[in-house]
Amino acid sequence: MNRKYFLASVLGFILLCLVPVFTHNPYYIHLVETIMIYAILLFGLDIVVGYTGQVSLGHAGLFGIGAYTAGVLFLKVGAPFWIILPACIAVTAVFGAILALPALRVSGPYLAMVTLAFGTIIQILINEMTFLTEGPMGLKIPKPTVAGYKFNDESFYWVVCVMLALSLLVVHRVLRSQLGRAFEALRGSPVASDCMGVSVYRYKVYAFVISAGFAGLAGGLYAYSEQYISPNTYNNELTVMFLLAIIMGGRKTRLGAMLGATIIVLLPKLLDDLEAFRMVASGLAALIFVGAALGIAARRTTLHTMFVPVVGTAALAAFSFWLDNITDWRLSIFGLMILFVVYYLQDGIVGFARLLLGRSNTADTDVSLQEENPAQDALMQSASSGLEDILVANQVLMQFGGLKAINLVDLKIKRGTIHGLIGPNGSGKSTMMNVLTGIYVPTAGVIEFDGRSVVGRTSSDIALSGIARTFQNVQLFGEMTALQNVQVGLHHTFKSNFVDVALHTARYHREDHDANERALGLLRFVGLAELANEEARNLPYGKQRLLEIARALALDPQLLLLDEPAAGLTAPDIKELVQIIRKIRDHGITVILIEHHMDVVMSICDTVSVLDFGQKIAEGQPAQVQADEKVIEAYLGGTAA
Amino acid sequence: MKRRVHLTVLASLMLATGFSFAADPIKVGVTGPYTGGSSSMGVSMRDGVKLAINEINKAGGVLGRQLLAVERDDEAKNERGVQIAQELINKEQVVATLGFINTGVALASQRFYQEAKIPVFNNVATGSIVTQQFKAPEFPDNYIFRNAAHDSIQAPMIVEEAIVRRNFKKVAILADSTNYGQLGREDLEKALAAKNVKAVAVEKFNIKDVDMTAQLLKAKEAGAEVVLTYAIGPELAQIANGMTKLGWKVPMIGSWTLSMANFIDNAGPGGEGARMPQTFIQEPNTVKRKTFIEAYLKTFKPKNNRIDSPVSAAQGYDSVYLLAAAIKQAGSTEGPKVREALENLQTKVEGVVTTYDKPFTHDDHEAITANIPIFGEVKGSKVVYAYEEDRVKGADIRTKVKKAATADKQPAKK
Amino acid sequence: MEIFLQLVYSGIALGMIYAVIAFGYQLTFATSDTLNFGQGDALMLGALVGLTLVDRMGLNYWLALPVVGLFGMVQGAFVERIGVRPAIKIKSEFGWIMSTIALGIIFKNVAENIWGRDDLKFPSPLPESPLKVFGANVLPMELLVIGGALLMMLAVEFFNRKTIYGKAVVATFNDRDAAKLMGINTGLVITFSYALSSMSASFAGVLIAPLTLTGATMGSVLGLKAFAVAIIGGLTSGMGIIVGGIILGIAETTTGFYISTGYKDVPGLVLLLFVLAVKPAGLFGKSAIKKV
Repeated sequence: MNRKYFLASVLGFILLCLVPVFTHNPYYIHLVETIMIYAILLFGLDIVVGYTGQVSLGHAGLFGIGAYTAGVLFLKVGAPFWIILPACIAVTAVFGAILALPALRVSGPYLAMVTLAFGTIIQILINEMTFLTEGPMGLKIPKPTVAGYKFNDESFYWVVCVMLALSLLVVHRVLRSQLGRAFEALRGSPVASDCMGVSVYRYKVYAFVISAGFAGLAGGLYAYSEQYISPNTYNNELTVMFLLAIIMGGRKTRLGAMLGATIIVLLPKLLDDLEAFRMVASGLAALIFVGAALGIAARRTTLHTMFVPVVGTAALAAFSFWLDNITDWRLSIFGLMILFVVYYLQDGIVGFARLLLGRSNTADTDVSLQEENPAQDALMQSASSGLEDILVANQVLMQFGGLKAINLVDLKIKRGTIHGLIGPNGSGKSTMMNVLTGIYVPTAGVIEFDGRSVVGRTSSDIALSGIARTFQNVQLFGEMTALQNVQVGLHHTFKSNFVDVALHTARYHREDHDANERALGLLRFVGLAELANEEARNLPYGKQRLLEIARALALDPQLLLLDEPAAGLTAPDIKELVQIIRKIRDHGITVILIEHHMDVVMSICDTVSVLDFGQKIAEGQPAQVQADEKVIEAYLGGTAA
Repeated sequence: MKRRVHLTVLASLMLATGFSFAADPIKVGVTGPYTGGSSSMGVSMRDGVKLAINEINKAGGVLGRQLLAVERDDEAKNERGVQIAQELINKEQVVATLGFINTGVALASQRFYQEAKIPVFNNVATGSIVTQQFKAPEFPDNYIFRNAAHDSIQAPMIVEEAIVRRNFKKVAILADSTNYGQLGREDLEKALAAKNVKAVAVEKFNIKDVDMTAQLLKAKEAGAEVVLTYAIGPELAQIANGMTKLGWKVPMIGSWTLSMANFIDNAGPGGEGARMPQTFIQEPNTVKRKTFIEAYLKTFKPKNNRIDSPVSAAQGYDSVYLLAAAIKQAGSTEGPKVREALENLQTKVEGVVTTYDKPFTHDDHEAITANIPIFGEVKGSKVVYAYEEDRVKGADIRTKVKKAATADKQPAKK
Repeated sequence: MEIFLQLVYSGIALGMIYAVIAFGYQLTFATSDTLNFGQGDALMLGALVGLTLVDRMGLNYWLALPVVGLFGMVQGAFVERIGVRPAIKIKSEFGWIMSTIALGIIFKNVAENIWGRDDLKFPSPLPESPLKVFGANVLPMELLVIGGALLMMLAVEFFNRKTIYGKAVVATFNDRDAAKLMGINTGLVITFSYALSSMSASFAGVLIAPLTLTGATMGSVLGLKAFAVAIIGGLTSGMGIIVGGIILGIAETTTGFYISTGYKDVPGLVLLLFVLAVKPAGLFGKSAIKKV
């Protein structure tokens, strides 16, 4: 982590710990404590919402499970504090898994609804199972006693501080590791993620379970902090508040989560007190006005975009002076804030601040290498032993409704060759590729890769067994850097799990270092080493295609499927591409190449198969195929009279 | 000459500080649900409190200082109550809090006041254990007081009305799932057991439930002749409507919440005849009550000239006067002193519900005993006296029946 | 048996209420892949506006229906303009979820301030005494709800299958950019679908209001349950919604009676989870294959 940021965070943490020293008022201590507890939960929620991009409306329910685990264990079993807290994490994580396993098969609004339903069910269960939870009457929990020492308000505050620091550390480590990259990848492009061996489903579940663990920790601490818990706290309004906090504070930043927590805790208090609200509204209007003026002057934004926020906040301030009683309008203000944040602060306050200050989101990875060994490049030598026919497809049929996209096609790919697959548009080439990588399940037919059937296996499973691919429409992980994109491809080299990552064990350090090195090597192989820290979406189109190849190679595949790699490239780029493909073949990797650039096909392919309307109409050496009448007819449509 | 100037300066300084002392108001927290399903009770209570505070302030305030109500909406949510309690104690630094409509909110929040030694005046919440949360020997002093008719009074009254006076043998209990509903249900079951009766059906429903068919069917199948209710909101109206829909009309007798405006208005004709214990009926049968009702209607102008929750308004009003009397007697606003004064009130306080004559002792913090509430009935979209004899004697002030120090908790019935 | 029949009738009426709201979800999903999380509040506004028309202004209930429908259309267009269109434009993944939730919250608060916080009684246009059908009771109003729901489903299906607007809707759903290039004003189609969706919700509100209580909070729980129905039945099938509604309604009333009323809401939600886990497109929905 950046030196400056590190020092700033340590300073901030020290200040936080000193709060009970500055003020002994239990109201303020409790307030800051609540902010910290919410922040812990939000760190976890950010992983799901900010990184994997899934909307969860069920985290209030998970929070409730954490709180009630603490309450029930204390009340019914009399368990000590140091057992209860880990139990909260574990139990909530289990519930998170129970929810995630069915729920994460869907996404978007479906997922939102499922999590909403889950949250509602949890609230009902807590409310109804009175034998366990005392139902609506709630549970009372005193502050914990550990080894004879009974914690009071102030000492428990420090316990929460420590938990916050630990959570911060763990979250930070997870998100900077291969897990974090996997989470971002599955959001950037789920299809690519699967095809790079990062199973979208599995990692969505991991993300959810990890966030559930944090929610459980927060819930447990909350129970001790409030000393009284009841079911109606963990309702839909709370879950919406959590989402608001993440969106308003800023996704993908720890500071954003803490800022968000502060806002949602202080907001209701602010809206209760008319005087304070007037002050804040006026202050905010002034701030936005000044900020907008500065931004327009610095050319970072225009009058047009700033018009609504400036007028809006001014109107709000005026409105607050006109009202006698703000309590009645509390919820409307809350709703307006959500709207404001959704449109003008998509990256949250932290994102907005970064924009104004001109800083970027991602930290730069250190790309200087200790050693450069030009003789050995990053590609692994592919296994030359094994079946001669590395891929055999027999009578493959792919039918969509009435349309036969692939109509009884046979294909035999010889190991170590470059096999071209050509044909007019709509002939079924890309469909074939999707079938081979498990994106579609063929209606009929046999496909065997190195003797093993491919049909019915998941894309990530197929990818991990040695088939890698690129895409016709570039499917890079846009918000990640080139280096990170390749590192996702290297995900399979990591045996470290969550514990290794959290504790930064030797194994993790080793694997992280090795992946770094290899990724750089792969980038060098395709000639992108200088652009390693550039965000993938900023790269020029041609370089993006090369990056996809580098990423695919990271899988250490035996078979590489390239889907129109030369499309949109300029002539010099194409020459480079041809060289790269040759080098790949020289490493023993078999290549299937879909292309429309005939010169590319002619120059490097050993064999060419031609598809038309889903059927194979010709196959053989490039020159043979080029002269074949059926092929000419397919491309040009009928012989000249 | 110089001396005169000095004297004038000194005098004006004293006057100024005197004024600033006089201007320093006594902050009293007023907490209740001003939004949501229980809001008619909360708003009525708050308005009753505001009326009383205005009157007292116009007459010069307490100890020369004006009373200032610090209102907070707890939305009937326990956790909001907890936060508000902490805010009122630590930030606003109130000397006492009036309020709590919802038993659950009271139970969750009171501990903070108890710890801070600040008196809490429950003017509406009726859960029996509300004043029993902090008892000796663990807590030598209890800071929770109440001037509402608690459920250990209401439940036996309801049972008495159903079993004894109206001679029903088979009763069904319908209660909501809140603390209030469930604790009330327990009280009902206890009271029934004391008469050797068991309810033929005991059903529960959630807040915001609209369809009571299942619960009512079960009660009907079990042969219930009367439905006893314990709920806080508009769901009560749905019980009445549900009965109409099923074509099964049996009497409804329940806790005091059946007097709420939203029950009466939404149940329509189905709500007529429902009966509930009330400490206060909106009838100007004494001078004090007449003045109160007129002042309330004039200041707050409720719909149809009907106080949304008459009991809440009246008890809210009375709680202010009781607190004011205690502060005056204590000569200070310090919590322990006010508590002591409340427990030994020397002056009689003339309230709307009753005249309070030494309503509290060190161990007894309930101002209302079983003889004070009478039965109200919904008739013609208002709440009126159920029994003619009560109405005729409406002008009689029923005062608290004193118990001997060693007697048990159940006071003699009138 | 009589009990069971009574429960079934109540269940059907309840389920029809959910189905009518669920239509709205279906309409917007069909064109814009978005759902109006504030659908329940559209219903609430329809009911309250209807109440004002019928109760305060003395308008005849049947005449008030189209007025409420019109109000619903305006409200829906408003939600789309303010809440959904900007979010789609900035390509925010969950922006529209948050903004429709936010608009719902605002509507509810504004309603609370205009109509008050208490629940109100809506005068019933039909007699309130129950009819006996096969030995169990049904309210005439419930029959109206069932009839109204079925009528609406028929109208929607007819619209989608027979008219050119319907084709435009399907085209926009399948490929918005291509539809635009074909000259279809996709923005207008989406706005119109939201208007239609809120219209059906408002309409539902006025149908339901005499049966339940009318108040600012009546929408939320109904909104969630209607979601469940829309998912269970399938977001692309009108028949599915009717069936889903009936299943949910009967599941609720029977659970309430035979198991416990506290757990009444559970079967519906569990069914929702189950359907989403096993067949996300719903019982009657068609699974689409995504092309890469």
